Amino acid sequence: MKIESIDYKGKKIIAITGDIDMFSSPELRDEIMGHIMKKAAALYIDLKSVTYIDSSGIATFVEGLKCMKLYGGKLQFCGIPNSILEIFRFSKLDRVFEIHSTVDDAINS
Amino acid sequence: MKDSITVSIPSHPKYLSVIRAITDRIGQIHEMDEKVIGDIRLAVDEACSNVIKHAYKGDVSRKIIIKYTIRPDKFQVVIEDNGLTARRKALKGRDLDDIRPGGLGIHFIKRVFDVFELDEKKKKGNRLILVKYLK
Repeated sequence: MKIESIDYKGKKIIAITGDIDMFSSPELRDEIMGHIMKKAAALYIDLKSVTYIDSSGIATFVEGLKCMKLYGGKLQFCGIPNSILEIFRFSKLDRVFEIHSTVDDAINS
Repeated sequence: MKDSITVSIPSHPKYLSVIRAITDRIGQIHEMDEKVIGDIRLAVDEACSNVIKHAYKGDVSRKIIIKYTIRPDKFQVVIEDNGLTARRKALKGRDLDDIRPGGLGIHFIKRVFDVFELDEKKKKGNRLILVKYLK
């Protein structure tokens, strides 16, 4: 897994590439929690290049969402491949996550 | 006809990707549906992750044995460890409507496998038997 933290149109994009699993999710958690500790107003998680996610990856996002909600921050997801969207739907996370097709859609929402 | 493949990996999360790749390839060799292969890959990964987390409590120096048996009518995966014996209660995932971190792995396993059972004959550790019936 590779994580890129990108500033785009004044927003913080976290672009992830590869597999998110029990091995790689602690690194992802550190990245997200680092932004949350700085009280980031919004984080945009770009998943278009993610090839796999397991329950530890999902737990990382749920934890991030809960932490951001505590101070009114927004965690948004974009570019989710269908195979991963199906897992989000099975887990009923599509009801609580803000999901957009692209980063631009998310920023303009 | 029956094919069996047995794999042993160290209980380190970095080897989960190896198990996913092997699971994928076995499914492809047996010309299983891509969606089903993906679901089985996730389920086997989750079962091995549970062994690392719960049976071995994060000890990365132990061993996990995964045995695949493929017959025309079923795909079986048996996952064995020598760690702490799982409590039956722990094998129930959280309510899917109760959105919080954790508790999803069991759901990912049960959604694809028709049989999910712990072999109670195993004295030390755990032997998880997963079976998917094939059409």
